[in-house]
Amino acid sequence: MRRRFDHRLPLAAIALAFFALPILYLASLSFKTKDDVLSGAFLPGTVTLANWAQAFEAAPLSTFTVNSVTVALLSGLLTVLITVPAAYAVLRLRYGWQRLSDVTLSSFMAPPIVAIIPLFYLLKGAGLLNTVAGLVLVYGMVNVPVAYWLITPFLRRVPVELEQAAELDGAGPLRRLVSIVLPLIAPGLAATGLIVTILAYNEFLFASVFTFGNETRTLPVGISLFQGDRLVNFGQMAAASLTGIVPVYLVALFLQRFLVQGLAHGGIK
Amino acid sequence: MPMRERHAFSSPRDAGEGFILKETTMALGYAADALTTPEFDADGFRRLGRFLLRPLWLAPVACALIVTTLYPFVFLVALSLSKSSLGKPFRAFAGLKNYALALGDGEFIASLLRTVAYALLSSAIQVAAGLALALLLFTLLKGGRFLLSLFLLPLMTPPVMVGVAWKLILAPAGGLLNGTLLRLGLVDEPVSFLGSAALAWASIALADLWQWTPFVAILCFAALSSLPEGVDDAARLDGAGPFERFWYITLPLIAAPLAAIFLIKLIFAFKLFDLTYILTYGGPGFATTTTGFSIFRLSMQQFEVARAAAETLIFAALIGLVTLPVVRLHRALERREA
Repeated sequence: MRRRFDHRLPLAAIALAFFALPILYLASLSFKTKDDVLSGAFLPGTVTLANWAQAFEAAPLSTFTVNSVTVALLSGLLTVLITVPAAYAVLRLRYGWQRLSDVTLSSFMAPPIVAIIPLFYLLKGAGLLNTVAGLVLVYGMVNVPVAYWLITPFLRRVPVELEQAAELDGAGPLRRLVSIVLPLIAPGLAATGLIVTILAYNEFLFASVFTFGNETRTLPVGISLFQGDRLVNFGQMAAASLTGIVPVYLVALFLQRFLVQGLAHGGIK
Repeated sequence: MPMRERHAFSSPRDAGEGFILKETTMALGYAADALTTPEFDADGFRRLGRFLLRPLWLAPVACALIVTTLYPFVFLVALSLSKSSLGKPFRAFAGLKNYALALGDGEFIASLLRTVAYALLSSAIQVAAGLALALLLFTLLKGGRFLLSLFLLPLMTPPVMVGVAWKLILAPAGGLLNGTLLRLGLVDEPVSFLGSAALAWASIALADLWQWTPFVAILCFAALSSLPEGVDDAARLDGAGPFERFWYITLPLIAAPLAAIFLIKLIFAFKLFDLTYILTYGGPGFATTTTGFSIFRLSMQQFEVARAAAETLIFAALIGLVTLPVVRLHRALERREA
């Protein structure tokens, strides 16, 4: 068989280069010396590790990282715990108000800026301003519509017959959810949990308003302050930004199977 | 034993008017079953118990929706009618004064127009780019799937870091783009990409495109995967070229999902905040100040929460107004398909 040159391959390569460029440039910058940065070249002339050390000295990046990871994991767990039983009850058990699905989804339309002033006063009243717990609660609740949207197609695909059989055997709704439905939707559950966790990890607006001390700040907020600092050079900024990016990329690379599945199925139905 | 059959699966569409009446009758039925059975009926009581526990399943989501959506709107309405500052809210009743101030402010109106124009334009461009990318990857088959998971990375990158990366690329001194342009002799001196209104918007749009197009492409890829096989081949056998097959066959078939994808992207576009915060901070001047950003500054930096509340409600109403036709379009396309 004769193989013709595929003209789509260079196009795919260009697309790939475009999407890889900013991250590769950050990586290159983080190893450049101060003078080398001004050259505007893609690759570093001489490689230095100084930026990484200085970035961690200039800002409490490790505290920010711990805060970010804590907030992301706890709020992701909270979102899943809030959403999955309710989605199951509405979609499969037909409990309660069927329009809850529509209401949940439409509440996602409003931009987060809408909630910022009211939630500020709510957290202030509850004494949760500038606390990690406050952020966990806010993210845990704010991401519920996304989780609902992602888990819905997975729940819909569980065969009704399996549950009916269990019901005839006398299994109650909670029992059916835990021992029949959850194992079947495990990939969807993983995808949903991952995506809401990453959303919480990446969030900036709420975190920037609801926290104001280094002991509670998350990475995006810390780095946004970092980049306003005139004393900080490009190399350090790149190193700090990469510090924030690396954890998500590791998670994304190891669990990409779930991510693509979750996003592709959740999308269009 | 109770004879009533109450399968949870038997009534798929029981929403609406008779809802409360129906629920009450069912509860009474369960109670009657349990109580009228001569011998002690543990099963009946268990069923009644389960029935009464039903609201608990939904309570957490209801609570989250109240806190994140209902309460903010009620609070904002009250706040917008008051005289307030961030530290001292609800000092006096102000009537509609805050709305008059907002609507009389040319800069606020300009920010609304900018925000809507940007959301519509950037979403259209990204859906087109995402579809092109998805078609490219889709026709590459196996390799396409692999590339698709690589393209997840921009979506996963924290937007603040996306902003920092692009700011470093676009920087006048030492930025990659200016360095390259200078080296190629395309410009004589560094271009200040974030210094002029048009270029600043283009820069934001570029960073936005970088972050979101892969997501759009994944959704488009899913839509393309759901197409019936064979239609395309049939057209190919009839001698239709690739462009004709796309325009007359693929595009009409994915019109409904495409409208849904545009809607999703539009909703995200209205949430744009982090990129403008990092890249331009609303500047130069107010050139890239979106409504979200202006509300943020008004409330959190100038502490004028009452006027910010009025502006927020006007903004929310406008978003509804802009997205409604898209929702309608999506419904119409879905109906045409069915």
